[in-house]
Amino acid sequence: MIKKKKIAEASIPTSSMADIAFLLLLFFLVATTIDVDTGIGLTLPEYVTDIKNVKVPKDRMAAILINENGDVLLDEKPIPIIQIKNQLKPRIISKIDLPNDKKLIVSVKTDRKTNYNVYIQALDQIKQAYFEVRDEYSYSHYGKKYGDLGSDEQTVVKDKVPIIISLAEPESIKK
Amino acid sequence: MKFEKRRANTKQEIPTASMPDIVFMLLLFFMVTTTLREVDVHVQFTLPSAKAIEKIENKRLVSYIWVGKSGNIQINDSIVKLKDIEPIMYAKRKALPNVIVSLRIDKNTDMGQVTDIQQELRKASCLRINYSTNVKL
Repeated sequence: MIKKKKIAEASIPTSSMADIAFLLLLFFLVATTIDVDTGIGLTLPEYVTDIKNVKVPKDRMAAILINENGDVLLDEKPIPIIQIKNQLKPRIISKIDLPNDKKLIVSVKTDRKTNYNVYIQALDQIKQAYFEVRDEYSYSHYGKKYGDLGSDEQTVVKDKVPIIISLAEPESIKK
Repeated sequence: MKFEKRRANTKQEIPTASMPDIVFMLLLFFMVTTTLREVDVHVQFTLPSAKAIEKIENKRLVSYIWVGKSGNIQINDSIVKLKDIEPIMYAKRKALPNVIVSLRIDKNTDMGQVTDIQQELRKASCLRINYSTNVKL
């Protein structure tokens, strides 16, 4: 009787597959940018050529003026930057229940020579004031922080406490 | 009497057969989540830091403008002049209507230049901007 020849097992060598996969993995790990972009968001006003001056009642405005030395005026009174938040908060809160066209407008005006960092610090303070008011409002009405609310409730709070920041064009420095 | 050493009959190796599968899974995850670096930054800048910051939810909407220590403005891969910003950004907005412009500006820049850039952005009607900042602890 003829013995059947044993067929050699045909297989693809897979021992190096892990190495190859690791190499690819390493490439993507290195090439990936994980850093999430963080920053202060704003919406610029539309560009219009004919500028109309609209009178805004004084109690609706919080005018912040920053000069080239980094000194801050809030409604013509000099205050330190870190005080902006505490000064603005009660004013935002007092206008929560007013209709939308009566809410507080924060106007930020800088000089052309003002340092960008100072401007960001001031903007940060304003945003913090708004965020804290939103948090407090949603805490008292829904018992949750603003970030934990559902999107419907968030819209309600957003509508109650809208962030209105007006960027005035800087005055050119006096020569 | 002869003592025999008792040895477990199980194999002593770590099974590596499934290692490629695991690695491929990781690989796939990174491939899907990756957005590749698109540009080289030519300007030097230090970002300011702030507390009340938001995350940009969609990275593919973001378009960057860098302003360096020496006042150079960079968009895409090249240094541009102030008056070039408008046509470039307008083209970007046309391609991506709800583009968010992330301004990565050095913290010692003058506000005059920042405002000039903002004016150009307004002309190009790129109105959603974001001042890029670091997290202040």
